[in-house]
Amino acid sequence: MVQNIIDVRNLSKSFDISSKEPGLKGTIKHFFKRQTKSLKVIKDISFEIKEGEIVGFLGANGAGKTTILKMLCGLIYPSEGSILVSGYLPFRRKENFLKNITLIMGQKQQLIWDLPPIESFYLNASIYDLDKFEAKKRIKKLSEMLEIDEELFIPVRKLSLGQRMKSELLAALMHEPNILFLDEPTLGLDINAQRNLRKFLQKYNNETNATICLTSHYMKDITSLCKRVICVHEGAISYDGKLDLLLKKLSPVKEILIVCRSEEDAIKLENSGFTVKNKIKNEITLKIENNSITSSLKTILNNFDIEDLFINEPPIDEVIGKVLIKKDYDI
Amino acid sequence: MNLRKYLKVYKKFLYTSLASELEYKTNILIDLITAILSLIGSIFLLSIFFQNNGYIGGWKFEQALIVQGIYTILNGITNTWFNPNLTEIVKHIREGTLDFVLLKPIDSQFFISLKKINPSGFLEIMLGFFLLFFCIKINQINLSLSFLSLSFITISCSICILYSIWFFISTTTIWFVKTWNAIEVLRSFLYIGRFPLNSFSFSLRVFFSIFIPIAFITTIPSEVFLGLSQLWKILLEVIVASVFLITSRKFWLFALKFYSSASS
Amino acid sequence: MIFNLFNRKIFTLLKVQYSNMLEYRVEIALWAISGIIPFFMLNIWTNNNLNESINISDVMLSRYFLCAFFVRQFSVVWVVFSFEEDSLMGKVSPYLIQPLNPFFRYFAQHLAEQITRFPFALIIAFFFFIFNPESIWIPNLGILLLSIVSTFLSFLIQFLIQSIVACLCFWTEKASSIERMLFIPTLFLSGLLAPVVSFPEYVKSWIYLTPFPYLIDFPANLLSGNETNISRGLSMQIIWIFLLFPLFKKIWIEGTKKYTAMGS
Repeated sequence: MVQNIIDVRNLSKSFDISSKEPGLKGTIKHFFKRQTKSLKVIKDISFEIKEGEIVGFLGANGAGKTTILKMLCGLIYPSEGSILVSGYLPFRRKENFLKNITLIMGQKQQLIWDLPPIESFYLNASIYDLDKFEAKKRIKKLSEMLEIDEELFIPVRKLSLGQRMKSELLAALMHEPNILFLDEPTLGLDINAQRNLRKFLQKYNNETNATICLTSHYMKDITSLCKRVICVHEGAISYDGKLDLLLKKLSPVKEILIVCRSEEDAIKLENSGFTVKNKIKNEITLKIENNSITSSLKTILNNFDIEDLFINEPPIDEVIGKVLIKKDYDI
Repeated sequence: MNLRKYLKVYKKFLYTSLASELEYKTNILIDLITAILSLIGSIFLLSIFFQNNGYIGGWKFEQALIVQGIYTILNGITNTWFNPNLTEIVKHIREGTLDFVLLKPIDSQFFISLKKINPSGFLEIMLGFFLLFFCIKINQINLSLSFLSLSFITISCSICILYSIWFFISTTTIWFVKTWNAIEVLRSFLYIGRFPLNSFSFSLRVFFSIFIPIAFITTIPSEVFLGLSQLWKILLEVIVASVFLITSRKFWLFALKFYSSASS
Repeated sequence: MIFNLFNRKIFTLLKVQYSNMLEYRVEIALWAISGIIPFFMLNIWTNNNLNESINISDVMLSRYFLCAFFVRQFSVVWVVFSFEEDSLMGKVSPYLIQPLNPFFRYFAQHLAEQITRFPFALIIAFFFFIFNPESIWIPNLGILLLSIVSTFLSFLIQFLIQSIVACLCFWTEKASSIERMLFIPTLFLSGLLAPVVSFPEYVKSWIYLTPFPYLIDFPANLLSGNETNISRGLSMQIIWIFLLFPLFKKIWIEGTKKYTAMGS
């Protein structure tokens, strides 16, 4: 039986925001009497994550993804509710807990700028109580997985962003954490580097059965890695479940572009009871529900003179984009 | 076991920051020249003060040089450890990488106040010691065991106080990201530490004993060198130093609590 | 016509920088406080009657140090640090594309800050007069204008020197350490800590040929009504500006050439 490695119950987080009137008068007033407003950014959320799962957190900017991630790794105190990560209360930041997790933030770097990455690795090794022999072994293994080699001996400031990210990953994974928190790991990387990173994460998950929680703006990251997604909307969870289920739910129709041989046929097709999206001369686009697609196509092919036919899957980005603005999915 | 880990980590800190600084070799050379020029300038200024009748605040020139020597050592320590780490913590907070530090299984105050080192400050420390040895010679001070231990204790206390003040300001970066100006104010106040406190008027003396404890930082150690210091002053300095250290620790923990409940 | 256009650009830049500076009132206030070293020095001078040896009365000396404080407030330059930060953050390239030498931007920034700083400096002067009511004086209009001009010239000299150092950023990564080195003679020789008259003869014989006494000592003497050679002071300031300006232009052209050749 697979255990829950992360268990979140009724978690809320509010920040105190002090508001200030502009000008000198406002400043003085602010000095003596601070008007603070409590802003609830996370509202009563609960979820569990099992060991070895890869979970993607989706949401618009400011929806609260990063706050959730930071609470999970213990950087932010929760206001209410409980969090248990591999049996620890994260915000106590106990040594054994910290040795169990890692946080990777895209474009934020912890490597020492003027030195080759290898020096930062050995520094991390001493912080995480690894002896030299063990550290060497792990660096070798991870650098093979990440396909980096001579980059380890070049000062960080001279590396490309992609190479730097790989080195960051190596530094963050040297202590072999069970749980990886990734906040926008692919930010700023080019398409190839993004793909390599995803490939690596998948492989790392397969080999070590580590749990991975990630947020990303690149849908490709989510769709290629995560079977399960948690959508966050204004601090609340709007969907938690399988990714393909969400996609099906969100795009129940397919678009089919039909090119008729003659314009008359097109007009006939237009008036035959299907939902028409648009029509340009002899090209007509229909919207057909997923579950009736085969029967509808049969009817069309039998009754009309068709020159060509395209089935358009709605682009996944667009579909998930809807997640960001939608509040509820009743599933 | 734990101490050994911290020693090991500190060795790595030393190595990595020395290695990074060596990437900028000309910089180190220039800093060395700066340190020498600065000492020459201070002695020059001091000599102007003694042009009149050979005394300021009841101190002779040779005695005032002791203050200068201690100030130079402390300034060297500031430039070697406190200043570069403050720069680092400001960077951590501005770039949001403090999170990485907090997630390391190591004490964050240790990490943040000792990570960096600037080797060009070493020369200043050495210059300060040379000056002190010179002063011991010209003032004919007996190198007895009690003198050595007392001066060691008082100078260590000065370092602790100075560290606490710097770390206190570093900590405030969690609220106000820009602390450079506060640092400039502190530096200009610390500048007073180059001169015997007695040479200032009474009100300034009070100010610099209470608000910014310069009296404790350079004057008491110098008095130990001259054999003028009473025991109660030394005890007081030890107490002040421990209060400062404990407060800086408490303040850091408080700031972290704030950081983790307010940052987003 | 071209001159007009130029004027308009500078005026707009000034306006923008001024509103920008207003945002940083606290920092600027702190900056003003960090400039109070001259008052500490004054305290040493008067408390030990050091002025006996140079035949300046207490009142004149306190006026001198107050004026030194003012001159310093309105001639302080930090263009190296701004430029270094901008070049590290890659902001220089967009500046180079614009049809305006980026140093005009920094120039406007400095002027704007001086304007913002003015009230704080006045407040500090006000407190100074409360503690030293006997030193209140009103300089006549001609002298006031002349000292404003000479303070501005002093600012120009320092701005040019620092801009030259800043251009070294094109060659070395950290030009600010060179500036810190140059600051040491500025600090000790400009008259900020002790009036140049008090310097020993072997220094006085050559110091008037260097730019240092014209940075603070000369304008401060002028404003405070202490004895000084007005025509020599002003002409030396202008000569130094005429010497430094072509040097700056040359190094700027060479630097940008190097920068564009590197393509980074």
